Amino acid sequence: MVTSLLSSDDLRQARALVEESGLSFEPPYDDLVGIFQTRRLVAVGARQGRVLKMLAVAPGHQGGSLLDDVVTELIGRGYQQGTDSFFIFTTPGHATSFERLNFNLLVSSGKSVLLEYGDGLRRYLARHQTQVCPGPNGAVVANCNPFTLGHRYLVEQAAASVEHLYLFVVREEKSLFPFDCRYRMVHEGTAHLKNVTLLDTSSYAVSSVTFPTYFLKDGDPGGEIQAELDLLLFAQRLAPHFHIATRFVGAEPFCKTTAAYNQAMHRILPPLGVAVRELERKDTLGAAISASRVRALLCRKEIEEVAALVPQTTLEFLLSGEGRKIWDKGGAT
Amino acid sequence: MKIMKKAQAGTMQSSDLMVFLEPADALTVTIESTVLKQFGGLIRDKVDQVLARHGVEAGEVRITDRGALDYAIEARLETALARATEG
Repeated sequence: MVTSLLSSDDLRQARALVEESGLSFEPPYDDLVGIFQTRRLVAVGARQGRVLKMLAVAPGHQGGSLLDDVVTELIGRGYQQGTDSFFIFTTPGHATSFERLNFNLLVSSGKSVLLEYGDGLRRYLARHQTQVCPGPNGAVVANCNPFTLGHRYLVEQAAASVEHLYLFVVREEKSLFPFDCRYRMVHEGTAHLKNVTLLDTSSYAVSSVTFPTYFLKDGDPGGEIQAELDLLLFAQRLAPHFHIATRFVGAEPFCKTTAAYNQAMHRILPPLGVAVRELERKDTLGAAISASRVRALLCRKEIEEVAALVPQTTLEFLLSGEGRKIWDKGGAT
Repeated sequence: MKIMKKAQAGTMQSSDLMVFLEPADALTVTIESTVLKQFGGLIRDKVDQVLARHGVEAGEVRITDRGALDYAIEARLETALARATEG
């Protein structure tokens, strides 16, 4: 029977089993479950959001259905919590164990692979089938937290140099502004550009699945930014579907993680047929416009400064009742 | 029978299947199976038959199968339907 692992002895056994299997025991998690036989933990697994991790079965107990039971339990619990797509990172050698459980290989980097339970990517691509233009097209992936004049400049420059531009807005809810608000700001701020199509990234680009370190608060994950699978997935699965030949990105003078991501982009995308064009940031009053600067100004309630950095459409949203509630935690002034 | 809320039934063990149901305006059925090539058509027929018998006309039905026999398919789908429609 699969049970939750809660006591300190459970956790000690879980850590030992995970580490014995060559994985690292990595909190946090939403669920940690396991199977005991004669009071010894013989199988373990955890779920953090949409990602299943730390899956291990003791030597001597492999080959049965223990892994199936642990994964069933994690997916059942996750589903009850409102999650309906699930992912696993593992080594290429273990991919087939999960493919037998109806996980599908999304992307492989040689030393690690990402699998998805079910066929979410195929359904995502099918949902956007009617928006596919013959190309060659361009793409921008952006969080737009919030949508600034810098974003608009990047999108305008990019749109002017391609037949059609796909603007992927990051779906992940890990930013100050919720996805719906960011999407609406982008929609209103790009309505004048007829050859731009907005898409949401779902889990498949710059998400906590494909690029977890992007959402770490203090931006320095110590060299390794784990963006390789994110970029491979973009180049191998998204770009061919949407006939994307060029990815546009703004130069990044501030954030180390984003700067490292841009570098990885130059290294990984071109050999796979996607050119990368890095555009200088638009600046006002000598400093580059960035969404983090806008957020800092909002925090200090310096609205006049904000007004110089965002389009009218974004400003209207920020000053609306709904917008204010997001940044003006102290209530209306 | 109307799918009122999300529900799930089944396991990932060999010879079993997982059924996921969700309310939707139209009926869509997607089937993933390790034996899709050999038995995809038969699985689909069984699913359609059970849905029709319960008068399910709308909803998103997702199935991941590991070679379940048809009575297992029927039992898991009926259990999920009962969960999706209960008060």
